[in-house]
Amino acid sequence: MDLTYSPEDRAFREKTRRWLDVNVPKDDAKTLDERKAWHRRLYEAGYVGMLWPKAYGGWEATPMQQAIVQDEMARAGAPPAINGLGIGFIGPTIIVHGTDWQKQRYLKTMLTAEEIWCQLYSEPNAGSDLASLTTRADDQGDHFRVNGQKIWTSSGPIADWGLLLARTDSKAPKHKGISCFLLNMRQPGVEVRPLKQITGSSLFSEVFMTDARAETRDLVGSLNQGWAIAQTTLGYERGANSLGRVTRYAIAFSQLVRATKELRRGGRPLLEDPVVRAKLGKIYAELEVQRYAALRVLSSLQKGESPGPASSITKLSYTEFEKRYFELALEILGPWGQLIAARDEFEEVDTSSGEPGTWATAFLWSRAGTIYSGSSEIQKNIIGERVLGLPKEVRADRLKA
Amino acid sequence: MDFAFSPDQQLLKNSARAFLDEHMTPAAVRLLWDDPRGESEATWKEMAQLGWLGLSLPEAYGGSALGMVESAILLEEMGRAACPGPYFPTVLAARAIEEAGSDAQKKRWLSPIATGDARATIAFLDADLDWRPDAIQTRAETTAGGWALSGRKQFVPWAHVASVLLVPAKTPDGLTLFLVDPGAAGLTLEPAQMMDPATRLASVTLEGTPVTGAAVLGKPGQAGPLLKALLSRGAVGAAAEMLGAARRCLDMAVGYAKVREQFGQPIGSFQAIRHKCAEMLLEVENSHAAVYYAAWALDAKAEDHDLAASVAKAYVGDAARRVCGEAIQVHGGIGFTWEYDLHLYVKRAKALEAMYGDADYHRELIVRRVAA
Ligand SMILES: Cc1cc2nc3c(=O)[nH]c(=O)nc-3n(C[C@H](O)[C@H](O)[C@H](O)COP(=O)(O)OP(=O)(O)OC[C@H]3O[C@@H](n4cnc5c(N)ncnc54)[C@H](O)[C@@H]3O)c2cc1C
Repeated sequence: MDLTYSPEDRAFREKTRRWLDVNVPKDDAKTLDERKAWHRRLYEAGYVGMLWPKAYGGWEATPMQQAIVQDEMARAGAPPAINGLGIGFIGPTIIVHGTDWQKQRYLKTMLTAEEIWCQLYSEPNAGSDLASLTTRADDQGDHFRVNGQKIWTSSGPIADWGLLLARTDSKAPKHKGISCFLLNMRQPGVEVRPLKQITGSSLFSEVFMTDARAETRDLVGSLNQGWAIAQTTLGYERGANSLGRVTRYAIAFSQLVRATKELRRGGRPLLEDPVVRAKLGKIYAELEVQRYAALRVLSSLQKGESPGPASSITKLSYTEFEKRYFELALEILGPWGQLIAARDEFEEVDTSSGEPGTWATAFLWSRAGTIYSGSSEIQKNIIGERVLGLPKEVRADRLKA
Repeated sequence: MDFAFSPDQQLLKNSARAFLDEHMTPAAVRLLWDDPRGESEATWKEMAQLGWLGLSLPEAYGGSALGMVESAILLEEMGRAACPGPYFPTVLAARAIEEAGSDAQKKRWLSPIATGDARATIAFLDADLDWRPDAIQTRAETTAGGWALSGRKQFVPWAHVASVLLVPAKTPDGLTLFLVDPGAAGLTLEPAQMMDPATRLASVTLEGTPVTGAAVLGKPGQAGPLLKALLSRGAVGAAAEMLGAARRCLDMAVGYAKVREQFGQPIGSFQAIRHKCAEMLLEVENSHAAVYYAAWALDAKAEDHDLAASVAKAYVGDAARRVCGEAIQVHGGIGFTWEYDLHLYVKRAKALEAMYGDADYHRELIVRRVAA
């Protein structure tokens, strides 16, 4: 056991820090074009697509280096890269399951964010039970005709392409009749309607597909293998944000401490109130434990170990912590914590870093993490069944299957 | 960066597990619960032979000069076995003697500790329930032959078997640590009966207890920083033991949830039970990260080692309480019986929650460090 960073990792951190010192845009990159330009600079510096193979435009860096970059970006307050779903999940899916043509056509422009991607999985009646989706793709010989509705599609309004799960065999058992496609979002048959979130901004959307075209060459993997492909999609880029996330928590914590020195109650700063101190101590202890756990995960990723279902523990741990964190922060700050700033429309948000803004935004945003990418309840099911080996629950769909 | 145990550390863990599984079965623990002395001389000697007592002592005194990570590995296993005995108080006191002692004091105590011929303990707490060294009220006054100690120490671990007590007391120079013979004049021990029968604590009353000048450990007035460092170490050690006890409770709960059937199915298939188990695992894994980060930080003298010790004690204290409590819940009625072994581990963790500063105490230390 040795938790010191290697000399190479320390040198890499230094180099990254120096690069960011010089290059982070002075005024926030706000518009999509500004964000794309910033993304491009990050990519060219080797800070995007870090774990991707060089053959597809990536950098073949280590998980630790990737985590260090995210960490330094958080420290520097740098705007995150965009196209996170594409680069984190969809691109790797194409790398593993895609055809050579698909790789040539889509990967490079995804990395450079010239084309923005979204994930077309959830439907109004297929959320946690994703396999019950009903959007259908009917084989028309040279293409598939797509009809149905997706929902909660992050980046939908700005996306050029989407990774789509649709039913291609309605008679097969529900996990066996699903296929995976790359869908052009810029076509007459695709209509995107932004949905306003509890934070007030519209980052996700509904997507209606009416006789939309999915080209046959855009089928990923074989027909009716979509479910298996979707499962691998969920396993990429683990640990990338582990350090950066904790650094953002820590930066917020120092702001919180500053606020408790300025805000007063009963003739003294909040910081002198033992109840407030106990809450601060609790937050900080948990925050540090998140950091230690992140180091543990990174050290095993670094050795090429795959966390498998145990990564559900990590996701459950930090998303639930984040809720407790911002709940406690708002308890401490009272009405001050609920001030909300009017801000510019923000087109894309990296789910791992959330929306920038006030304590109130952070508090509201913290409710998202335990819902998306497998809710906390689903994570606990996975941990119970696949990590602890507890018996599966009796479920109506399993009785039928 | 490597968070995993080295092969040697893994070997130590495996051999500790094997030894304790054989010698500290629940039945063996229960025998010691009923034993007036509360520990097994034979096991103690075997632990010495395995090198556990000298684990972190210098080689010159028969030790292996290993670090806090290795100690934490052993302590986690002892917690998992709810192993009764003065192991941790003794190695903690040995650490104090090693850090501050003269050559003569080290020779006198460290070698016998390593061979299992001596036991030691530190009397941190005074009458006030306050772990801060500044709060110590016990006093030492100079006499012709040395010093006379007066005061009342509470909840001193395993004082009744100790060959030497380490007693901090206020002197005109400041806080000073004394090596005190438990048989000295004016010293009375009063054993306390605790909820965990594997935890033996006593109050120690000192009424002008005489000690010689040679009994001062380190320089007079210099004990404050040493005690703080010992408390950090104590916090990490206690957290490691709580981790072991909590993991044992989790394992028992999961095992039970797989076999106990109600309503025609194993209770582990009910989400209310399964989700509890998942939450318990999460807290146990986070506790693992907290304990071993803190242990490593102590060994590496990392800048944040005291902070990490407080984080570990605060986090694991809360986590172990919840995990052990939920383990009882998962077991239903059987978990509430004396016959069933679960309470061995529940009580072990509970006892340690209150030692070396509880979670509230350490949260306050954390705030002092990060919100100054
Ligand atoms: C901010 C945000 C961004 C998102 N972005 C995308 C995106 O880009 N693309 C996309 O496809 N989807 C996206 N989603 C959708 C997300 O994946 C779903 O919301 C999620 O899968 C849950 O589905 P649901 O909303 O239908 O809730 P439901 O599945 O209806 O769940 C409702 C409640 O029931 C619980 N529940 C469900 N099943 C079980 C069970 N078996 N056991 C116990 N409890 C259960 C859930 O935990 C939850 O508490 C996003 C969601 C959010 C909040």
